[in-house]
Amino acid sequence: MILNTDSMKPLYVQIAEWLEGEILSENIKEEERIYSQYQLAEMFTINPATAAKGLNILADETIVYKKRGLGMFVSPNAKQFILTKRRSRILEQMIMELVMEANRLDVSESELNRMIQLARQNKEEKQL
Amino acid sequence: MNVIQCEDLTKSYGKLKAIDYLSIEIAENKITGLIGRNGSGKTTLLKMIAGYLKPTYGELKVFSEKPFNSLFVSENSIFIDDAMTFPDSFTLTDILTEVAPFYANWSSSLAKGLFDYFSFNPKQPHSNLSKGSRSTFNSILGIASRSPLTIMDEPTTGMDSGVRKDFYRALLRDYLEYPRTIILSSHLLSELEEILEDILLLDNGTKRLHLPVMELKELAVGIRGNAQAVLSFVEGKEIIYQENFAKGSLYVVVRRKLIQHQFEQIRLSGLEILPVSADDLCVYLTAKTKGGIDDVFKRG
Repeated sequence: MILNTDSMKPLYVQIAEWLEGEILSENIKEEERIYSQYQLAEMFTINPATAAKGLNILADETIVYKKRGLGMFVSPNAKQFILTKRRSRILEQMIMELVMEANRLDVSESELNRMIQLARQNKEEKQL
Repeated sequence: MNVIQCEDLTKSYGKLKAIDYLSIEIAENKITGLIGRNGSGKTTLLKMIAGYLKPTYGELKVFSEKPFNSLFVSENSIFIDDAMTFPDSFTLTDILTEVAPFYANWSSSLAKGLFDYFSFNPKQPHSNLSKGSRSTFNSILGIASRSPLTIMDEPTTGMDSGVRKDFYRALLRDYLEYPRTIILSSHLLSELEEILEDILLLDNGTKRLHLPVMELKELAVGIRGNAQAVLSFVEGKEIIYQENFAKGSLYVVVRRKLIQHQFEQIRLSGLEILPVSADDLCVYLTAKTKGGIDDVFKRG
């Protein structure tokens, strides 16, 4: 679901995104141990259950994995995975905004498609 | 394990039912925020849990015992509010020394650390403290006791915002190191919610909501824009709150679940979808009317 509520994102999503940022900037490298829910709770002054939910988002997306008795570690391809995911999300958002603006301006679907095709052709011609 | 369990718990003062057939469970080692409007029964409930008041009807178990007249509950819990009284001849240092033997997990070093951090005068009598300083001092007792059940009724009354932040952080840090069951009642939910796990919302002595804070924050959404368009989406759905904020415009709060599948259509209709803060939602849910204070000023 696309919502323009960046500043009002749930806390656990913000935690997950902050951790993704740490992985992207290689402050935490692949195969390294990531912060525990208790460390995150202390760092951000939040309930450890909230921090755990943030970590669980990353675990569900296999960005981190659990080593029994040792905690959570960053997966081998985490950085690439996050990059790909973020790219596709940004693109989706832009397309959504494009469609809405087109509606407001009474641009029909076929017109919009033609404009997209034209833009791609123009780009290809320039590249040739 | 549940530390607190009650069923049909009722407390009447004459004809008034301060707590009205309340059934709840509070699990071990969670931080729960007890929220409600003035007179919703928060203090009565906390005092019954702490064993200060005897229930009129229903069952209440704390650590599997009836708390009223229970030494075991007294030993394992602490109740902090701004009406705590101490002997007049005691200085603040005397109090810190004398309460220690009553609490098995009492940390003198933590009490001393917080006492010094908040720059208390060791020789000052408790009765001379300002409102905010009294709350701060009492909260030090609450944190340093490390009681398995720590109950704080409006602990931040009178504290300035800097002290409140320090208090929340001190409480959370010590909780991370020494987990225990904590119940905090407060009016300042927006400040408090980040350190809470669960919220219990009371309304006229009954339970309105009891759920994880994270779920509360996603329970409802606001929709704002052209009044007719807004109404077309929320028609037939329960409206939690509504407000006419400009000519022909409407702001409506509904449950997210009822409307989630229509989010894209709503946005395509040019309406805004806005998050509803936990604080606002609690106010809306316990309001007497759907339009709030503005209903008073409605004409005709």
